[in-house]
Amino acid sequence: MQVTSLFLMIVGLGLLAFFLSFQRSARYNGPTRLRSLPHHYASLTAVWTVFPALLLMIVWSIIEPSYLQQKIEASLTTEIADQSSDAIGLYLNRVHLAIASGTVDADPVVQSLVVAYEKAALQSRYLNTAMVLVLCLGGITLGLSKILFKVHARVGIERLLKAFLILCSGVAIVTTIGIVLSVLFESIRFFNAVSVFDFMFGTSWSPQTSIRSDQVGSSGSFGAVPLFLGTLLISLIAMVIAVPVGLMTAIYLSEYATGKFRTIAKPTLEVLAGIPTVVYGFFAALTIAPFIRNVGESIGLSVASESALAAGIVMGVMIIPFVSSLSDDVIRAVPQSMRDGSLALGATRSETIKKVIIPAALPGIVGSVLLAASRAIGETMIVVMAAGLAANLTVNPLEAVTTVTVQIVTLLTGDQEFDSPKTLAAFALGLMLFVTTLLLNVIALHVVRRYREQYE
Amino acid sequence: MQQRNKKTASPSLSLGNFASTIGENLLNDAKISTRDVNVSYGDKQAIYDASLDIGRNQVIALIGPSGCGKSTFLRCLNRMNDTIGICKVSGKLMLDGEDIYAKKMDPVLLRARVGMVFQKPNPFPKSIYDNVAYGPRIHGLARSNAEVDEIVITSLEKAGLFEEVKDRLNAPGTSLSGGQQQRLCIARTIAVSPEVILMDEPASALDPIATAIIEELIDELRQNYTIVIVTHSMQQAARVSQRTAYFHMGRIVEVGDTNRIFTNPRHEMTENYITGKFG
Ligand SMILES: Nc1ncnc2c1ncn2[C@@H]1O[C@H](COP(=O)(O)OP(=O)(O)OP(=O)(O)O)[C@@H](O)[C@H]1O
Ligand SMILES: [Mg+2]
Repeated sequence: MQVTSLFLMIVGLGLLAFFLSFQRSARYNGPTRLRSLPHHYASLTAVWTVFPALLLMIVWSIIEPSYLQQKIEASLTTEIADQSSDAIGLYLNRVHLAIASGTVDADPVVQSLVVAYEKAALQSRYLNTAMVLVLCLGGITLGLSKILFKVHARVGIERLLKAFLILCSGVAIVTTIGIVLSVLFESIRFFNAVSVFDFMFGTSWSPQTSIRSDQVGSSGSFGAVPLFLGTLLISLIAMVIAVPVGLMTAIYLSEYATGKFRTIAKPTLEVLAGIPTVVYGFFAALTIAPFIRNVGESIGLSVASESALAAGIVMGVMIIPFVSSLSDDVIRAVPQSMRDGSLALGATRSETIKKVIIPAALPGIVGSVLLAASRAIGETMIVVMAAGLAANLTVNPLEAVTTVTVQIVTLLTGDQEFDSPKTLAAFALGLMLFVTTLLLNVIALHVVRRYREQYE
Repeated sequence: MQQRNKKTASPSLSLGNFASTIGENLLNDAKISTRDVNVSYGDKQAIYDASLDIGRNQVIALIGPSGCGKSTFLRCLNRMNDTIGICKVSGKLMLDGEDIYAKKMDPVLLRARVGMVFQKPNPFPKSIYDNVAYGPRIHGLARSNAEVDEIVITSLEKAGLFEEVKDRLNAPGTSLSGGQQQRLCIARTIAVSPEVILMDEPASALDPIATAIIEELIDELRQNYTIVIVTHSMQQAARVSQRTAYFHMGRIVEVGDTNRIFTNPRHEMTENYITGKFG
């Protein structure tokens, strides 16, 4: 049987097992009361039916290809088997091709190999189906036998659920570790070509390397300082806009606004976060940047047509809802008794907000600001469109700058050799970015915790 | 005033009729006097025609079954009801002859004069010191840090808490026990030198020992402050108060000297309540 139909069969048997077992335990009329509910027993029976069979199927599908390969190799005639490994490889390729396309190869040796392969595959499939069936039926039998009621099904199900949850969280953790490790290894390869020192403290970024050694052209310089400075500059501009506006909005929404206004204003604000960043990007490039340039020129400043300021402002607007929405939630979570206590002492509303509410909500507010900051640091599209690609080493917000994320994109788009320092640099940048945001989070957590200790 | 008193005091002992208050609800030299106060939350009326005088340097206990409007009435006295949008108050409420609900009365200053202690201790998430210093600081009661120190210490002393916390004034207020927290809240209220202290079931979240300490404290505070206390405990009302007002379904049914109310209630409902027949 094919894998899909086999799978469907297992599921079907599982459902059947559940149903039968449920009926049976619901009708149970023994001398003592059952320790668990019918659905516990039914679930357990279903698990017994399905789980071993599924496990077998997975294991089988992992080892089957190499088993078949072995079969083919074993059936090679000695005359071919004695040839060089290249020739064998060639033969095997032709066999696989013939199997995959279903065509008949002219070579009789290949033909016979294909026949041998198909025979083995058929055998394997029958064997697999048979074993799965045996396991399923075994599970059902066990579940419908007397043994079932000896098991404490409720505890068993709880344990299984817990194991399942651990497995799920394990997937997330393993994936994260995998990503970090792969980035780390590629970065190490990069640092073999370019020294860490040059990368971390170099002030010039021009990643164009010559592809062939005889080409004239730059050898590439990989100083990441301009990129990080650019990221910092733009994020800073964005935060300078988003934090005060977002916080004030949150205070208004949570402390002053009427319920009706809130129910309209909050979703409206959250729409801001839902606008695709590309849209923000062209808004920044086509509206804000020219506007800043015109204003700047009219007062005699030279402003680049793509500027950090334009990107920063638009990014700031984009992340306002991150600050306002989360801060609003944490401010509203401050118990009413705090407000009452303060007001009853004759404090005004704004004194209450400033001296009691905000301090009490501060850990949450810091959290929302951090979330916004990491969003700003990771933002790419707006910067590509509005701040340019030029890696200028500057803190002047009126000049074009570029950021780490933008450079990662430009390094990896287009046709690239995968092991040139140019592409590997993207991994090194990614690693640096990762470490930076991690540090940011750790520091913030620390700050929040210290604050908590002081007050709670 | 006298005339009114006579009218309202006309005894009507039937269970169904408690439209007007019986007993001695009015006084000659009251700290706070309320006349025909009606309070409603939106469509729902919570207080009907309440007229009650609160005597100087006395403790008056407000008792009555749950939901009868004790807290609502209490919160009218320092306009804490202002914070509830749907709450409407009408009638006359006077503090030393000044109209509490007059336009020119600043609720912020009023609340500095009429402090409030809540049912659940609600210290701010600040240090013990800052909790007490909070009020004096926002009202500019102290010119220097030394003066703040002094206010904090005397307030804590008056609240009977200083000895217990003098070594850890910088510890968070929330790290204290429930009873200590409630005394901290009392100290915090005293620190702004109010004239009246409103207490809404101040001991209901506390164990008997902490309750006894709070009750003793209330008795001492009576020397300098006028105190209105809401309580569900008949014994507590009897122990700490000089006058008692019995509320029922938004109306003040009977008012009188605490001794008199507990030994010789005139209204059947009061009697039923204090003897535990209902409520
Ligand atoms: N914020 C509010 N909004 C609407 N109705 C309210 C509000 N607060 C109180 N009420 C209503 O007003 C009535 C009086 O409530 P109040 O809290 O004054 O009772 P209470 O005597 O203090 O009761 P308890 O002894 O349980 O504290 C109740 O029916 C209550 O439902
Ligand atoms: Mg109440």
